[in-house]
Amino acid sequence: MEKQSYQYIENPLQVTRREFITIGGMVVAFLAIPTVWITLVTSSSSRYLQARTKGLYQDDTKAAVRVSHANKSVARYYKEFGGTPLGHISEELLHTKYINRTKVLS
Amino acid sequence: MSGNEFTLERKREMNVTAKTYQKGEIPGVIAINATVCKGCDACKRHCPTGAITGMFGTTHRIDVDLCLSCGQCLINCPFGAPYETSDTVDEVIAKLKDRNNTVVGIIAPAVRVAIGEDFGLPAGSLVTGKLYGSMKKAGFEILDNNFTADLTIMEEGTEFITRARHALFGEKSEHGGEIGPLPQFTSCCPAWVRFVETRYPTLIPHLSSAKSPQQMAGTVAKTYGTNVWKKSPESIYTVGIMPCTAKKLEASRPEFNAAYKYNKKNGRGLTNKPYPDVDTVLTTRDLSRLFKKLKIDLAQEEEVAGGSLLADYTGAGTIFGNTGGVMEAALRTAYAVLTGSELKPLEFKPVRGLQGMKSASVTLKDAKYNKEVTVKVAVVHNMAENIQPVVNEVLAGRSPYHFIEVMNCPGGCINGGGQPVCSSGSSWISAIRPWFAWK
Amino acid sequence: MYSEKTILKHPWSVRIFHYLLILSFLPLAMTGIILYFKPLSESAVNLAMQVHVVCGVILTIDAIAYLLIGFNRVILFIKRIFTMSVTDIKWFMILGGYPQKLLLKKKVTVPPMGKYNSGQKLFGICVFTGGSVLIFTGWILWAFPHLVPGETVYLLGLLHTISAWILTLFLPVHLFLGIYMFDDFKAMILHGKIPYEEAKETAPLWVEKEIIPISRNQC
Repeated sequence: MEKQSYQYIENPLQVTRREFITIGGMVVAFLAIPTVWITLVTSSSSRYLQARTKGLYQDDTKAAVRVSHANKSVARYYKEFGGTPLGHISEELLHTKYINRTKVLS
Repeated sequence: MSGNEFTLERKREMNVTAKTYQKGEIPGVIAINATVCKGCDACKRHCPTGAITGMFGTTHRIDVDLCLSCGQCLINCPFGAPYETSDTVDEVIAKLKDRNNTVVGIIAPAVRVAIGEDFGLPAGSLVTGKLYGSMKKAGFEILDNNFTADLTIMEEGTEFITRARHALFGEKSEHGGEIGPLPQFTSCCPAWVRFVETRYPTLIPHLSSAKSPQQMAGTVAKTYGTNVWKKSPESIYTVGIMPCTAKKLEASRPEFNAAYKYNKKNGRGLTNKPYPDVDTVLTTRDLSRLFKKLKIDLAQEEEVAGGSLLADYTGAGTIFGNTGGVMEAALRTAYAVLTGSELKPLEFKPVRGLQGMKSASVTLKDAKYNKEVTVKVAVVHNMAENIQPVVNEVLAGRSPYHFIEVMNCPGGCINGGGQPVCSSGSSWISAIRPWFAWK
Repeated sequence: MYSEKTILKHPWSVRIFHYLLILSFLPLAMTGIILYFKPLSESAVNLAMQVHVVCGVILTIDAIAYLLIGFNRVILFIKRIFTMSVTDIKWFMILGGYPQKLLLKKKVTVPPMGKYNSGQKLFGICVFTGGSVLIFTGWILWAFPHLVPGETVYLLGLLHTISAWILTLFLPVHLFLGIYMFDDFKAMILHGKIPYEEAKETAPLWVEKEIIPISRNQC
């Protein structure tokens, strides 16, 4: 333990109660406000995503035709050119094979 | 943040060292600018394959053999360090100005709810009409990818019904060909396809053999499209306009020149020089830059119609951009084909929403076999977080599902690597990977 | 010769707080410079990052502990560093007389100062605000750069860099003067006491208004 070898100290009553509360309040605010801000910003970060999702579902809701098999233009494509789904023209043009890339490729 | 240090020499050099790319494919659509990277590791936590190397605090690099080109690192980096190595905006502008070309813009569903953001409109604004108007002003013909999405449903839906009826009732293929196993995986997401090809090639038979809507659009444009626009196939220049950076890689796959092969076989067209089905791909951001270079303000454009039957789409086609959208569209059609009546209600809510893995079952009566079946489906997105258990289950033969939709990007294509980077961020509240980086 | 009267300027709580500041902030500044310029190999920079993180944690714990244990002293500190007047401007105009003393060996009259002279008040403001910014942004940059929106993280990164440079450049001034004023150095680093006469010369207003002799009842 340290010997009391000093003769003077700071007067402990340097801050009035009002000053204490004001400054104390400002310190707490200074620390709390950024925390609240970050939390708000982060929790609303997927809002743009939900907006885009909603936009597409709205495009669906207001569409005159909502099922692929009723698309008259697709039907016309098959009739005039494509044949039938999974038919031989589809196999040639609209289907593909995949590559095993764990084997060495050139 | 330009990335045009990507020269032909560098391309060839990358081709030599990269091992998982075929000749002609873009070996690394995304790269990281070392002078901007702070090593904060945010990108690593969004990468589905751990393709980003470099210790915490140091500048990072992308291992192109592990990379799927999905671009999630790009849209999530706080400092904008990743950039695209392939930028063909000027090339497309030159083609648009060349009267000898017919430039066809293949416009994806997710683009129409995001491109407005680059022109000051609120997030999620549906700007289809203005987009068509801007594209027409720039000189594009329009082939809406939603039209080919409907086409994809016809092909993939029929394929699924064939596989299901074979698995459930022993029905044989009409053409005597081999029928794929269940569960069937969707194949429209090129990051997912590359994921399977590089990591789980034994799952390849499960992938739908149907091409993605983009690739179907390319072949249709250069075959059937010649009748629609009355132009020769070699003069048609197809531009995919996508929310996705991996689509740039997909379009560069050398086997995707089916239109050329078909035309050559059938004596349509004049050239012996092969051309790809999709000549080039622009992301949503690229298209915004193109419009701005041509002084077109999308927000001010008047709404116009698509212009041909190749822009005619249904509600099922347009929801492809959302996670669960492909599945919902497929169910609407599969249900109708199997039972003979329409799905009621058309909105199939269990596959919608931002939950990482969604599953649902539909009980219906197969009209052809007069038997009741329960079709079990699953929808997975945010591959970084959610794909492993699904894949493990299928590999072990324990998957309870018949049809699984996989999208790499959290939320689906609307949150793809090519979309406008939203200043409010694309982060998720549920933590992706560990919080405190160390190594 | 000075009489042997001394004032207790820095009680043990303050000294411990300051030891931990030295222990954490000096490595933080040095590794921070390495991380900014990245002049070394990958493993070396990663090690620098790890040291930076560990010291950042120590700094945070030190700051929070002192905020809680010595809340009244923190309030008093803030009151002192933000109390500015015309006298401070006069002090800055002659830079406290230090350049004259050090370079020209000339003594100039300095306006009377309180416990902290004007330069120390400025440093105190920088340390309190800059340090808080560094701690707040540092934690988010380390733990949540992938969850917090990108534009926000970019802004926080900018604030972190700016505060870091201000403090790192100010630090050598503090280190030099803190050692040059050797009585104050001993007070903060060793035993906490400063000779009465010394204090009367450098901080006359403090001695006049705020110092009291200890009574016989205090032990």
